[in-house]
Amino acid sequence: MSELTQQTPEGGTPIADENPVYLKDPVLDATVRMVVELAAQVWIERERRITLESLLEAQGTLSRAAIESFKPDAAQAAALKRERARFIEDVFKELRRIPPKP
Amino acid sequence: MSAVPETLPALAERADAAYLDFVEGFREYILGKGADFEDRLNEALLAEQARRGQPWGEVEQIREYVHSLPLGRLRDRLSRTQQEMKWFALRRSFEAQRAALLAELERYDTRGPGRLELDPNFVHPPYVNVHFHLQPGGYYKDALSGYLYHYGTKVFFRGDNDHDELHSKLVARVPAPVDGRVERVLDLACSIGQSSTAFHRRFPSAEVTGIDYSAPMLRVAHRRAVMLGDEVTFAQRLIEKTGYADGQFDITFAFIVFHELPLRIIHETVREAARVTRRGGIFAIYDFTGTRDKSPYQRYHRWFDARHNGEPYSQDFCDCDMNAILAANGFEVAVAPLGQRSGGAGYMTNWFATRV
Ligand SMILES: C[S@@+](CC[C@H](N)C(=O)[O-])C[C@H]1O[C@@H](n2cnc3c(N)ncnc32)[C@H](O)[C@@H]1O
Repeated sequence: MSELTQQTPEGGTPIADENPVYLKDPVLDATVRMVVELAAQVWIERERRITLESLLEAQGTLSRAAIESFKPDAAQAAALKRERARFIEDVFKELRRIPPKP
Repeated sequence: MSAVPETLPALAERADAAYLDFVEGFREYILGKGADFEDRLNEALLAEQARRGQPWGEVEQIREYVHSLPLGRLRDRLSRTQQEMKWFALRRSFEAQRAALLAELERYDTRGPGRLELDPNFVHPPYVNVHFHLQPGGYYKDALSGYLYHYGTKVFFRGDNDHDELHSKLVARVPAPVDGRVERVLDLACSIGQSSTAFHRRFPSAEVTGIDYSAPMLRVAHRRAVMLGDEVTFAQRLIEKTGYADGQFDITFAFIVFHELPLRIIHETVREAARVTRRGGIFAIYDFTGTRDKSPYQRYHRWFDARHNGEPYSQDFCDCDMNAILAANGFEVAVAPLGQRSGGAGYMTNWFATRV
């Protein structure tokens, strides 16, 4: 971990610099960041598709304004949350395979 | 859905909301049982402690061990990343609608119920110039700080506070003074006023005042209270130097602000609360659990949060003895740890103190 730090205005713990390296190799840090970012982007697409499908099913028509203003009802929101949890589990279950000790 | 007006600012695009929804779910996953970092790393620390045959000493010692574990380092990387992603997306989305959001605030500034009291000559003390939890511009340098904070904390609370449920619950738990008299309530460092409006609802005939140094926070607080129809005064003042008369308030309240104050200001704020709270009145504090009551990994997390998540004063707060500080300033204290949320990393305690 990088130990470059900035002092605070008044005592306390010095603040880490803007780009801390946590994984000993900045490439690894960037790789992890990209994977998470990619996951976010995939989720955005999936969320939109679910939205579209819900709308298509509900009205049989499709307009951009309709997509933008779609608000899931309680049941749909719950389904979305479940879907989100499953999606995150799929992508990140690898994390549990890393042993605490090498 | 409910008839409560939505006070959370709208994002520029549906995709922005989905991005932040992802961050919220991802936070839950890495803080909770999904990735199960906290419990597994704590177990590793306890096992190492047993192997060494002595309890962990200074946090530096714990840190060295956590950093020797790839899992510990990866967890730090992911914690930092989700926080950076949140602010990146929020800033971009609000930037895209800056003019409209500012115009919206202006429309509400002079409306009622309630009042907004900004001080055009307000001087910010230097210690507040920190990007707390990495929020761009800190709490007051961006005119949209209040909006950033509102959406940012919505994600932070992972669904527990989408409609201020957490604030309502915590305010409901504050004991009323024994004599039952509640005419004036002071919400110290009220941010966007979620506790202030909860107090107004709990004690509808009381005068509720929320103070904060951040004008952008107070403007969003006022807009929010007007939208909800709650009569609250929001004033730009320092909590360690409020300017109110002695013994003015029946209840004085502080939700998660003490860990963001340098030790010197912690002492000054408790002294000020003792001055403005009447005898028999209540001073209620919710804040981070002290170091003494933390597991080894929670102690590590406090260091990490201090250094890597813009909470530079939080370690000193957790190390200090709030009971003693309150007692020394004329308060009689009852303390209780709050129920742990998964992934809370030594989350919150309350101090309910009576001014004697
Ligand atoms: C983490 S927030 C507090 C949360 C808030 N009490 C709530 O109910 O959501 C910190 C707030 O404290 C304010 N603050 C910090 N130090 C202060 C001080 N010395 N005087 C006034 N406000 C302060 C900041 O501007 C920020 O809005």
